[in-house]
Amino acid sequence: MGHLIKYRMLQTIRKKSQMFWALAFPIILGTFFYISFGSGEMGEDMEAVPTALVIQDKDSDTAKAFTEYMDRLDGSAVQITYMTDEEAEKALRQDKVEGIFYCTEEPALTVAGSGISQSILKSLLDSYCKNASMIMSVAREHPQGLSAAAEAMEDWQEMTESFSVKGRTMDSNISYFFALIAYACLSGAFLGAQSSVDSQADISALGARRSVTPTHKIQLILTDMLVLFFIHFCNVGILTGYIRFGLGIRLGGDVCAILLTICMGSMIGISIGMVLGCIRRLSFGGKMGMCVCFTLIPGFLAGLMFGQMKDVIEHHCPLVNRLNPAAVLSDAFYCIGVYDNPERLMRNLLILGMMSAVAVLAAWLLVRRECYDSI
Amino acid sequence: MIEIRNLVKRYGSLIALDHLNLTIQEGEVFGLLGPNGSGKTTAINCMLAHLKYDKGEITIMGKPMRPDSYEVKKNIGVVMQNVAVFEQMTVRENIDYFCGLYKRDKVERKRLVEEAIEFVELGNYTKMRPGKLSGGLLRRLNIACGIVHRPRLIILDEPTVAVDPQSRNKILEGILELNRQGSTVIYTSHYMEEVEYICSRIAIIDHGRVLASGTKEELKNMIKTGETITIEAIVLDQVHLREIRSLPHVFDVSYEEQILQIRCGKAKHNLVRVLNYLQGKDIVFGKVFSELPTLNDVFLEITGKALRD
Repeated sequence: MGHLIKYRMLQTIRKKSQMFWALAFPIILGTFFYISFGSGEMGEDMEAVPTALVIQDKDSDTAKAFTEYMDRLDGSAVQITYMTDEEAEKALRQDKVEGIFYCTEEPALTVAGSGISQSILKSLLDSYCKNASMIMSVAREHPQGLSAAAEAMEDWQEMTESFSVKGRTMDSNISYFFALIAYACLSGAFLGAQSSVDSQADISALGARRSVTPTHKIQLILTDMLVLFFIHFCNVGILTGYIRFGLGIRLGGDVCAILLTICMGSMIGISIGMVLGCIRRLSFGGKMGMCVCFTLIPGFLAGLMFGQMKDVIEHHCPLVNRLNPAAVLSDAFYCIGVYDNPERLMRNLLILGMMSAVAVLAAWLLVRRECYDSI
Repeated sequence: MIEIRNLVKRYGSLIALDHLNLTIQEGEVFGLLGPNGSGKTTAINCMLAHLKYDKGEITIMGKPMRPDSYEVKKNIGVVMQNVAVFEQMTVRENIDYFCGLYKRDKVERKRLVEEAIEFVELGNYTKMRPGKLSGGLLRRLNIACGIVHRPRLIILDEPTVAVDPQSRNKILEGILELNRQGSTVIYTSHYMEEVEYICSRIAIIDHGRVLASGTKEELKNMIKTGETITIEAIVLDQVHLREIRSLPHVFDVSYEEQILQIRCGKAKHNLVRVLNYLQGKDIVFGKVFSELPTLNDVFLEITGKALRD
């Protein structure tokens, strides 16, 4: 058995064309994804909004209070520049500032557009006005509580807290990488197809020669399957490692679950390839073409080329997502890496397990034939 | 060694093997001669239990041949018509791989691999991959992979197709050597010269049937032709041709493009009689050839067409 394993590994690894499709191409594709999307992480630091501050009423207490308020925010939410009225309007027209705060009895804001920056400025003003109104109301109705109210406003606490969900990622572009790993799992079909061709007497002279030997065909098939599973599992592992550590994309989640999913995905890919390789009427080029279809079409439907594709299919024809091995794999990775949904993960793993079993059984039944109607 | 009885194989309405009967004795080089499409390869594939057949029995070394006849398969070596080696492995690796499918013992396997390499004279090419070898060398590698384990029975299915003459001679000599070393050989070909050269017994097959079998001499004795006389650069008219046809022991005359071919029966002095006639008529001629009957003649008389048709 060691003899068979050794030579099967040599044959497979040295077959450059198939190793390209199974290993190099997904890595290249992942690199292009990274170049296109970057790490794409959400929650990047927002830059301070450049803002002009015009003091129109120096003596007003309200103006002073507002000026003080803005000075506290300077450098974090806003980048304040003191200007005259004319300078501020000119700067706004020239897009050097996003808005103008007027420090008067009633602070005001002038903006020239409507975007995130303008919304931020508006919310700062609204927050100030609300707090000011509240303080004045307390002063009017409960003057004894004024100092406590002022203290409470000073002691502002974060009402939200971020916590790590077991290292899960919130990267919205992660779906492409999950689809890529799923595609890579299925690209084991190229290896499986070649193995089938090499073992069937009615398809190749090699298959005929191997069939005449006293080595049990079951042993030959088993060795081939094991070696190919192992090689392809390593291929996908290398790709996953490259995405995680080379490109720095956080896949999140449980390593064991990821490895289990990759293992099942590799089995499906190799086995389907073996089934495709047994199609007698197709030339070898035709079989490779079928493998390309088997990998790219499910990959596309799982969001490899258009990230929202899986969602579109889920809305219109969810059964396709249940039957598409790439979609199931991608969804399993999502459950592991993005949101914590054990039931959904178990469902996906169950579907993958069934697909693996069916694919391996189909491949086994077809490849183990020893006698043919025609050669 | 091999017994085939009433073998029938159909592909739909086409009968590929039509009650084929063959007996191959141990130690002989048995030739299966026939044109393309005659059923040679089909018979071989049935023998090896690759092909299902509709009727008949095949026994090899006294045992029925089935896909799971692993004990029988241990003693069979096959050299396919198409080269069956792994492109990604070197010459040595290929031979070692196939030897490993028969022999488990590493020491024995190493010895057998070295012997096989020496036998096919590929010692200078052991580290090369099949893609770098010429056609002849590739065929030799193909043979080495089939015989490395020293089988008792070697089946070669047209092993010299598209091979240069030098390599072909080496291959044929190698096959004879294998036979001298004790292997029974089944050799299929549509090249009668090869079959005549190496085979001790021959079966002529066409349309899935054995038309005739026996030694070369036995086959040639089956036919009328004792001698074929060919005369070139000769100009004859119909009267001459009629008179030549009426010469004793002449049973067939053909004349085309100034080449006269006369088939004579098994008698002495056929050539002398023909030449005397031509001299007597003052007929000028060029080269003269006289050949003993070939297997092609046997095939022609039995089937009415030449082997290469």
